[in-house]
Amino acid sequence: MFKTCVALLLVSLILVSDSRDREREEMVRTQIAERGIADIATLRAMRSVPRHLFVPPSWIDDAYDDRPLPIGYGQTISQPYIVAYMTELVKPRRGQRVLEIGTGSGYQAAVLAAIIDSVFTIEIITELATPAAERLKALGYKNVVVRNADGYYGWKEKAPFDAIVVTAAAEYIPPPLIAQLKDGGVMVIPVGTPFLVQTLMLVEKRGNKTTTRSLIPVRFVPLTRGK
Amino acid sequence: MKKLLASVALLSVALIAFQLVLMQILSIVQWYHFAYMVISVALLGFGASGTLITLAREWLLKREEYLLPLLMTLCGAAMAVAVRVSQSDAIRFDSYLLFVEGGQVRRLVLTYLTFFVPFFVGALALGLIFVRHVQRIGSVYFANLVGSGVGGLVALVLLWLFMPQQLPSIVALLPIAAALFIVPSKQRSPLVLMAAVAAALAFYFLSSPPQLNISDYKSIRRTLNLPDAKVVFERSSPHGLVQVVSSPALRYAPGLSLTFNQFVPSCPIVFNNGDWFGPLVAPTHGDEVLRSTTLALPYVMKLRERVLVLQARTGMFVAQALENGARHVTAVEAHSTVLSLMQHELAPETDSLLFHPAVNVRNMDPRTFLLTDTSSYDLIVLPTLDAFGGTSGLYATQEQYLLTKEAVREMWQKLSPDGVICITSWMDYPVRNPLRVLATLVETLSEAGVAKPAQHIAAIRSWGTITFVAKRTPLTKATSDSVKAFCERMAFDPALLPNLDPHERNRNNILQDESFFSLLDAIVSENRESVYAAYDFNIQPASDNRPYFSQFLLWRSVPKLRELFGQHAFPFLELGSLIIAMTLIQISALAVMLILFPLFRKEKMKQSKFSTFMYFGGLGLGYMFVEMVLIQRFILYLGHPMYATAAVIGAMLIFSGVGSLLSSRLAVTSSLLRKTVALVAMMIFAYGIIITPPEGVLRTLLHQSIALPAFVKAVLLCLLIAPLAFVMGMPFPLGLRNLSGRNDEGIPWAWGINGCLSVIAAPLATLVAVEAGFVAVMICAAVTYALAALSIR
Repeated sequence: MFKTCVALLLVSLILVSDSRDREREEMVRTQIAERGIADIATLRAMRSVPRHLFVPPSWIDDAYDDRPLPIGYGQTISQPYIVAYMTELVKPRRGQRVLEIGTGSGYQAAVLAAIIDSVFTIEIITELATPAAERLKALGYKNVVVRNADGYYGWKEKAPFDAIVVTAAAEYIPPPLIAQLKDGGVMVIPVGTPFLVQTLMLVEKRGNKTTTRSLIPVRFVPLTRGK
Repeated sequence: MKKLLASVALLSVALIAFQLVLMQILSIVQWYHFAYMVISVALLGFGASGTLITLAREWLLKREEYLLPLLMTLCGAAMAVAVRVSQSDAIRFDSYLLFVEGGQVRRLVLTYLTFFVPFFVGALALGLIFVRHVQRIGSVYFANLVGSGVGGLVALVLLWLFMPQQLPSIVALLPIAAALFIVPSKQRSPLVLMAAVAAALAFYFLSSPPQLNISDYKSIRRTLNLPDAKVVFERSSPHGLVQVVSSPALRYAPGLSLTFNQFVPSCPIVFNNGDWFGPLVAPTHGDEVLRSTTLALPYVMKLRERVLVLQARTGMFVAQALENGARHVTAVEAHSTVLSLMQHELAPETDSLLFHPAVNVRNMDPRTFLLTDTSSYDLIVLPTLDAFGGTSGLYATQEQYLLTKEAVREMWQKLSPDGVICITSWMDYPVRNPLRVLATLVETLSEAGVAKPAQHIAAIRSWGTITFVAKRTPLTKATSDSVKAFCERMAFDPALLPNLDPHERNRNNILQDESFFSLLDAIVSENRESVYAAYDFNIQPASDNRPYFSQFLLWRSVPKLRELFGQHAFPFLELGSLIIAMTLIQISALAVMLILFPLFRKEKMKQSKFSTFMYFGGLGLGYMFVEMVLIQRFILYLGHPMYATAAVIGAMLIFSGVGSLLSSRLAVTSSLLRKTVALVAMMIFAYGIIITPPEGVLRTLLHQSIALPAFVKAVLLCLLIAPLAFVMGMPFPLGLRNLSGRNDEGIPWAWGINGCLSVIAAPLATLVAVEAGFVAVMICAAVTYALAALSIR
């Protein structure tokens, strides 16, 4: 009887897991690839990271929906497309060192870690930082280091960075972050309210000059064409 | 009878005071939208009570002697527990999740029902008294209206004295006291015991008030998640709950230049009702940080000796002005609690900024100040609009009289020859706020006779903010050059300047969507009407008739926006408007379900149903519409929305009460009824067309008297409102008496339908005002009274 129960449990886990894999594959195909994300590494990472394990239990069935979801403390896990778009924007590749400000659930860090050698991520809210670190460790992301601290100061000891991803943007860009960016490095910042990212800002550092580029997610572009 | 009237008055005080307390509490834990919900829920309670009386009239009247004190006691007990229940994990809702999580709508409906209970049992008691004493309806209605009028003032006083979470328990004691006035000699002991238990409950909750669970998405809640964040000071007043939060991670540097390489110091932040209100900065903060933001634009152009800071809040722009060499800075702020804190407890945080010899602090509404002040200024600066990343349209239905064309015209007239008006906005996408700011400036200048507004307007843009300046005289080449040099130094971009090369606009902070620039150019040109017509959002300037600067939604664009942004994301473009629309739908459904539907089961009343519906429904809609418009019209006069609300509601109810009282001396006939209601319709029409429009007689009258002492202004307000309120108090009691002779069972139905339409009136009036303006709301009110007059047979 016991063996039967265990077997049934395993079968159901495999079925659920298969079902999540299918959902994830569908998510990548319809929400990401069809909207113009073409970077192979990004698409592969989005296919490999189990997003449903980064959302609160009550939202697991919605994990692969085309929208951000609440994770508590007024924070959200970004819409899959925005995570993919931000990942593509930093042009990720092996050997890079990336800093993330605003770990949240750890999903963006996991996607980056699937491509990049070293991901350093800072979360200011202790109640989010601790479970995110445990989750990433449990899922085997050994190349992600989580720190519970104020992102304003960046991570001086690990600088300079090829890219900085600021997922929890403030109304100013901290000067230490600009300083910790490599020459030629980029910073990506999503701009919007908790459930609606409207634009992405790309900060590019070239020598002493730093410029910003306000990018509109592909899906919103028809709005501007209409005018 | 005297005891009964005292009991009616006391219960009425409690019901109105409880409404205002709930509004304040919901403004703290959620957003101010739910003020409309509270009014509607209260009226739903009144309407449903009328329905119950209709259905169980005989049963209730037989037991009226015992039921009245019992209901009043229950009303008090329900008031004491309602807020605690609404804040429990099972019921608490979050406006931000209403369009994200299915269960939130159910929670919102449960919240309606929780707040509905005290109003329902309180109104049931009042309704029973009305039915029992219909021949003395004038006196009873008078006690009800006077009590309601006083209730507003009681709430204001309580809000000064206690913390918001304590107030439901305090107000709950009033209905319990009202019950004790009318406890019958028979069955005295059990009723007094029940009242004592309810009072004990209220006292217990007073000593252990419920915790107010603020939305996870409100600024203060997110701030308190920061390390070592703590509320270092808090104070309650009718202006709101002021809280000061400090944390080493709190800093203020809006849209800071990327060339800034120094340390951004931390500073405490002031919150009002959980919303960001302002940073506490010393003048030195301005020196280090604010000179590296676009806010510095007016000082880059010229030294500004005389500066007027409107809606000065925590004085950040005052600090900036002093740091930039201003010799006279006038800071105007209506929030007296914040000003008082800044001048006392918080003075050390800002180096006693408001005591600086160059600073003149004026505690009044900025529009009232503009109407009374006769000085001229080199710079008039307004608070920064919107927020980084946007506010999800949460403030769409909030009246903002400082951002209307009329307000900007008053500022323009106060400028010295080289003076400028300065407005900064966060950049948003799809772009709305900056376009409306520009449209407001351009139209104001055009109407002031400026032939080429483009020669007078400059704008610069950082990665996050855009600052506009409108100058009294044309911008010179030297000024343009200094602005361009500043932009180059700070890695900003000029967006508008005379003779600006288009290539200079998009170099440091590159916008992928360059249509922003063509929209700016079209607005400063003669083509702006075509931009207004073609754009997917409403970007026309706000006016005193439609003072909703943050309302951009065009209902025709909804399908397109839903398609583009997705069904889940779209609501977060215009959450405020959608919440009001959702409240209207839900509350209307509840009103039909709880008030009207049960009444259709009463076969006897079929014949008179339609005319009663038209008559009492028209009165319910019309009265609320008029009240709302009058409150809006007197905000500028009295200098604060809270005072205008209390004064207008108080005056309306008291003079309507007098009208009601005197109506009891008249013999009711259909002809008299028809003439009275027609008179009301004509008077509302006259007020709507002649007196209350922004350019009407009232404006002239108020301008002449705005500088008079508050007491004189209050008397003038009463004189203006009294004639209309007096006649508006007559149709309801006259109508009830008219029914009582020939259709007694129709009285509760009338009471119910009046309540039902009043329920719908609060959110509906807001939607009409947002879409068509206050004059339209007054005309709608006149039409509803006219239809009521026509329905009399």
